[in-house]
This record gives sequence, structure tokens and C-alpha cells, in this order.
Amino acid sequence: MTSPALECRAVSKSFAGVKAVDDVSFAVAPGSLCALIGPNGAGKTTLFNVATNLFPPTAGEVRFFGTAAAGRSPHRIAADGVIRTFQTARVFPGMTTLENVMAGAHLHIRAGALAQMFWTGAARREERGLAAKAEALLDMVRLADARDRATTDLPIGAQKLVEIVRALMAGPRLLLLDEPAAGLNDRETAELSALLRAICDAGTTIMVVEHNMSLVMGVADEVFVLDAGRLIAHGSPQEIQRDQRVIEAYLGRPQTPASEAAP
Amino acid sequence: MSAFIQIVIGGLLQGGVFAIVALGFSLVYRVTNVVNLSQGAFCVLGAMGMYYFQVEFGWPILPAALAAVAASTAFGVLVGAVTFVPAVSRLPGSSALVLTAGLLTFFIGVTLVVWGNQPYALPPFSGEAPFVIGGVRVPTQGVWLAAVAGALIVGLWLLLAKTALGRALRACAENPLAARLMGIDLPRMMLLSFALAGLIGAAGGVLVAPIMSLQFDTGQFFTISGFVAVAIGGMASFAGSIVGGLLLGVAEQFAAFYVSSVFANTLALLLLLVVLIVRPAGLFASGPARRSDVRDDARIHRAVVRLEGRGAIAFALALVAVLALLPLLPLPGGLLSSLVIALILFVAVLGLDVLMGYAGQVSLGHAGFMAVGGYAAAILATSYGWPPLAATFVALVLSVVCALVLAAATQRLRGHYLALATLAFGLLVDSLAVGLVDLTGGPSGLVGIPAFEVAGFAFDTQARMYYLVLALSVVLVVLLEGGMRLGFGRALKAVRSDQLAAAALGVDVGRHKVIALCISAALASLSGSLYAFNFHFLSPEIVSTTRSFEMIAMLVLGGEGTLIGGFFGSVVLTLLPTLVQDLAVYKTAVEGAILVVIVLLMPEGLFGRIALWLARLAPRRARRPTGAVP
Repeated sequence: MTSPALECRAVSKSFAGVKAVDDVSFAVAPGSLCALIGPNGAGKTTLFNVATNLFPPTAGEVRFFGTAAAGRSPHRIAADGVIRTFQTARVFPGMTTLENVMAGAHLHIRAGALAQMFWTGAARREERGLAAKAEALLDMVRLADARDRATTDLPIGAQKLVEIVRALMAGPRLLLLDEPAAGLNDRETAELSALLRAICDAGTTIMVVEHNMSLVMGVADEVFVLDAGRLIAHGSPQEIQRDQRVIEAYLGRPQTPASEAAP
Repeated sequence: MSAFIQIVIGGLLQGGVFAIVALGFSLVYRVTNVVNLSQGAFCVLGAMGMYYFQVEFGWPILPAALAAVAASTAFGVLVGAVTFVPAVSRLPGSSALVLTAGLLTFFIGVTLVVWGNQPYALPPFSGEAPFVIGGVRVPTQGVWLAAVAGALIVGLWLLLAKTALGRALRACAENPLAARLMGIDLPRMMLLSFALAGLIGAAGGVLVAPIMSLQFDTGQFFTISGFVAVAIGGMASFAGSIVGGLLLGVAEQFAAFYVSSVFANTLALLLLLVVLIVRPAGLFASGPARRSDVRDDARIHRAVVRLEGRGAIAFALALVAVLALLPLLPLPGGLLSSLVIALILFVAVLGLDVLMGYAGQVSLGHAGFMAVGGYAAAILATSYGWPPLAATFVALVLSVVCALVLAAATQRLRGHYLALATLAFGLLVDSLAVGLVDLTGGPSGLVGIPAFEVAGFAFDTQARMYYLVLALSVVLVVLLEGGMRLGFGRALKAVRSDQLAAAALGVDVGRHKVIALCISAALASLSGSLYAFNFHFLSPEIVSTTRSFEMIAMLVLGGEGTLIGGFFGSVVLTLLPTLVQDLAVYKTAVEGAILVVIVLLMPEGLFGRIALWLARLAPRRARRPTGAVP
């Protein structure tokens, strides 16, 4: 039995008494594409931040592929193959789009700083290889034309795509995407769904935090629902759509006839 | 016992001024989140105003003091409105910090032009005779100082705690964005805090002028002492500023009395380093904790400056060819020597670029590493007869060790604190260079340093030295260009622009910062050693904080993150004063003004501007199928 790609055991996180995440346990099967949804303020991003150790959980434990995340700094977690993106696209200013994507390959660069300084053939070959790979990825998301432009000059939707492609450059085993569809139009969202499916089919486990229901319901294998810091449901998209608690969390309780009659 | 009390009183007097400067720091920091390094200059501006109104124009004390404070505050507000406020609103924090370093240099330069370089002391307000209480002498000026400082503190507290204006100021400090959304005019509040801090500083200067002799560069001393005080007390706490200031004053007086006045500064800086390491937030770690999950570096927007391909190679070859042929031309006297200095400084600026331009870490004390390199190499070569090459190498290793220790000590410090720790380091080295007379020759300097020599070949003429440093610069640029263009440089740039996103891609942020610091320390050390061997002389002035600021000016003028840009910066700033000898007195003011103007209006620098311009001129090249590395 392989260990889950991401496992949370009774994870809680409080900020000055406010429980942002409250006793959440779940496991993400390797090779799956799952979604974490919930209304605003449900604690989705906080859970992501706790999972990648931006700040440690108040209680509970997070494991990636069986390894405990506790005490590992964010860059160590990335080195273990867990790569995340951010809610607001955090592309690097002052870099071209190609550079931004190539920066994702940091963990895979073999040439040491000295080899780079002495312009060795190996370092330059490696650089050419990375550039070619980055270009291919940019082509895939139809951003090849933006190659030499400053990424911060691109529209926000394109920046989000650059961030995802940059994460792919890192060759993740588990990809954590924080609201990748925010700022995308319907056509772009459909393209993103196809892209995520393709990435997942190529062997990368994906977990998305998402508001966009069409993305989540169309592409996810499994959906987890957070509300007010607690995990209230999980299952296939079809099951979630029928789940009474989820409907309540999103739409509020069924209204009583009295309130309906009110003007 | 009375000696003890006497020391305490002296310390409190001195500390009172530090506390006043510290209060200004704290006020501006709380509203703008920027450490305003020009704070100390207001003391000297105030004192200078007092000198003119009281001594030159013969006004009575009170009107003269009021006029002096009003005039220097007005001048400060004028400069602040066109430089500081726009910078804080638009630029990333590190640039704003560099801008205030430029403002300090500018104010010092202006004072030098107006006042000249001799010290001034003003008559005390109430005569020379001190109060004598139980055998303890209290200078009357001290009573004035204590009274006015107390009034200022109470006034400031009332303003902040009891008035709507104060509430608005505090709101800006707690959450600038929310304050703005509430309709508070943030730029006006920033200017107000800057003006209030200037007013407080000027008042402090007017009061202290009779008991301290002041000269044009005393502003730097006030800035540093005030900063040490506020860092000890806690940047965001008024009580901390006051306690920190008094503590520092008393500690310095005790150190001066029981150890040596030469080491008073050294001890104060050690105290600061200890506080920074043990309690980075200061003794009074109160005040608003800024939400760390909110990104406040959204203002960072840099133009992508890249000159690559055949054009870059052609440009580089042409530049090297011109530089190599220069000594063969009939040059005006002294030009070659100036170029040697410019190239030696360029070596240090290159390192500073790796640290500041690529890794995004501001170092305000880089001359400290130059000093370590210069003195260690010079002492080994003169006192112990080491060959210069070996001495230079050992000095370089020593500098890197210093960098590692500094990095280890400041590991937990982020943002501005690293810049301030480097400032403290530079000052510490400076004070040791002055203090360790047996080793360094003290303030008068170290003489009789031999010429640089490799395997019996002495670089004892300016032409030989020129070719040596030119070759060294070319080699260094080629090496660093390789490192900065490929993965290592990308990782540094990622750290510069977004540490969190960099870490999420697996970049070990701390390690990359340390490596950048070590590279820059090594190059600064090399530069310092060459400087000593070139001049056959080294004094603390050559490697002081002024030099640190000058190197930042060179880098910013030339263009950060371009490597070669620093060359143009160092050539311009080194040659300008030698070409226009008569205007040498304006050098400091012009350097400060250049730094401010470039940070504000041309953040890409001279070379960056040229590169962007060329890139626009050049017809768009056909896109290469692979991103071939030139």
C-alpha cells in the first residue's frame, strides 16, 4: 500500500484564538486530481499554508508521501517534490517570462555556481536544455509570444498560467494550486481543466483550492469541502453536488416560509 | 561616587540628544516603515541655522532658536516632499532606504558647502557657569536640553494619543492600506511625520550645539547614534527610543571613562549587535506588528534590463579595447591614477551588485569588508613581510569569515535589519581601525605599504597597476556574468523579488543570501587590499561609512543588477571631482543628490538606461528556436 501524497491528521491552526482550520483529517491518493472547496474564509488557503509549512499547525500532523512535514522549511518541502502556487500569482518581477519559467527548474540544475561562472560546456548545454523545456511548456499554454516580455506586464490570467508552468518546471510529484482559475475567463478555464487533467494523467498528483465550480466539478476525481475551518464533506463531484451540508454551506439554510413571505 | 554621578549626568546629556534623534527615527518608521537615515542631519541643520541667526545676525536666543528650527524644518519638508514621500509611496523599501542614505549624504554635502569643514561651537543659552549640586556639576545647557526634550516628548505623546491627527498617523502605522481606504491622505501623513521628525531633530541640534562641537559630517554621527539607540530600544516604540538613547549615552560615557574614549563607539556598536541578535525587535518590542502575510513588496516593479547576443559581445570588446589603449594616449595628469581608483572601487561595486542588485540585500557597511581586506593585507605585508599576493588572499579569507559570522549572527534578521546590521558592522570595523592604533596606525593611518607584487614583478607604476586592475575587472565580470546569467543568478533574482515564491520552488533563501554576502565581501576585501597596495597608505577615512554610501551611489548610478553598470558609476563619481578640482567642495552634495535623483527617477541606472534604449533601437531579432546562451 503506497502512502498518500498528502495526508492531514487532525490538523488545526489558530490565529490569536480564531480557529482558521479546525481538526481536519484527509488523505489525497497518489495520482489523483482532487479539489478543496468551501465558501470564503473557510480556511482553504490557511490549510495550504500550514501544509507547506509557511507556518506550523497549532495541532496535528501533515505528511507528504509518508514523510512528516513538521520542522521542514518550505524549500525542503519543495525539494521533496511538493510544489505550490499562490492565490495571487507570484511571478518574479524584473524577469522575462522565459526566465520566470526557467527559475522553476532550480531544484534540477546540476551545474554548480563555479561551473556556471566558468561558462563550462556542461553548464551551457544544461541551460539550453532548460530553455527548450521552458519554451515547450510556454507553447503548451500558448504563451510562447510572451517569452521575452516582463511577466508582470502580462494580464493576470496569463501570469497565473506562467506560475503553473513554472511549478511544472520543478517536476513536482504533488502540485498544490491555490485558485488557479481566479481571473480566467470561461474559455481559459476550460483550457486549464484540460491542462490539469493532462498533468495528472502524466503522473503528478494535483490538489486545487478553487472557487470555480465548473473547473472543480468537471475535472476533479475527489472533492473535499471545508466550512468554517472544518471538513464537512468529501466524495466524488456528483456526491458533493447532492450533499445537503455542502448546499447549506454555500447557499445558507433552506429558508422558512415566514422569511420568504417577508417583503 | 561623585565621579560616578558626574559620568551618569554626562551620559544622560549625551543620551538626551540620541533619544531625540531616536524619537525622530521611530516616528518616521512607524508611519512609513522606512528607516530614515537622514534623521541625524537635521540636528546639524538646526545648529547651523542657530549659528547664523544667533552669531552672524546677532538675534536673541529665543527668536534665533525658533527661526533656526523653523528654517531647517522648512528645508527638510521641501526636500522630503519631492524625494522621500514619492519614494516611500512608489518604491520598494530597500530603495527608499538607499534614498535616505542619499539624503543624508546630500545634507552633509550642503553643510560642507555652507559651513566649510571646521568645527563650530555656540555659546550656551545661560552662560558657562554650571549648577553645582552637592559637588556635582550640571551644565546649564543640560537643564535646557532636558526641559525641551521632555516638552517635546510630552507634546508628541499628546499629539499622537489625544488628537484626530495623531489617530490618523497611528492608523497609517498600523495598516497603511486600510488607513488609505478610510480616506486618510497617506502621503500627507508621511510628510507630516518626516517634518515632525525634522523639527525634533533640529531642536535637538540647536540645544546640543553649545555643549558639543559640531561640523559638517556630525549628522552622520547623530544618525548612527540615534539609530543605535532606537534599534536597542525598539524601532516602533517611543518609550524604547528614549530609554535606548539614554542607555546608549550613559554606556558610552562609562566606556569612555573606564576603558577609553576611543573604544566608546566600538562598545556601543557591540551592544547594538548583541541586541540585534538576541532581541531583534529591541528591548521594547511593542508597537504595531505588521501583518506578515500581507505582501507589501507589490510596489517592486523593475524593468527587465538585458543586453545580450552579438551586440553585448561587441559592446564589451569595444569597451575593453578603448580602456586597454587609454594609457597610450597623452592623458591629462592624474587621470590615469583616477582611473586606477575607479577600477579598484569597481571591483567592490561588482560584489555589491551581486548582493544588492541580484540578491536584493542592502549593505550599508560594505566599506567594512574593504577595511578588513585593506588593513589585514597591509599589516601582513608591512609588519610581517608577507608577499602581497599571499597577504591579499589571507585578507580575503578573513573577510569571508567576517561575512559568515555576520550572516550567522543576523540569520533571523530580515528586511531592513540586515542592512542595519551591516551598517553596524561597517561602523564597528571603522571604530576598530581608529582605535587599534598599534595595529592600524589609528586615525593618521598606516604608511609604508609596499607595491603589489606577483612572483617578483612589482606593479609599482600607475600604468602597471592600471593594467592589473583592468585585467582583474574583465576576468571578474566574465565570471560573474556566467554565474548571474544562469541558474545561480536566476535563483538570486528570485530571492530578491519574492522570497516566499522562491522558497516554494525549492530555493534555499537563507543559503543564497549568505553566498551572495560572501561573494560581495570577498570582492570588497580584494578591492581594499588593492587600494592599500596602490596608495602605499591606508587610513580609516578611506574605508569609512561615507565610502560605503559612495559605493552604493556608484552602483545605483550605473545600474543595479547589470554588473558592468557599476563601472560607469564608479568612473563618473571618481573622475568628476578630479576633473573639476575647483568644485571638489560640492562632491558630497552632488553624490547625495545623484543617489536621490537616480533612485527616484531612473532606477535602472545609466547603463540600464543605455541597454533599454539599445534594445528598443535594435530591430526585433527573429526568435531563436531555443534560448541559446550567448
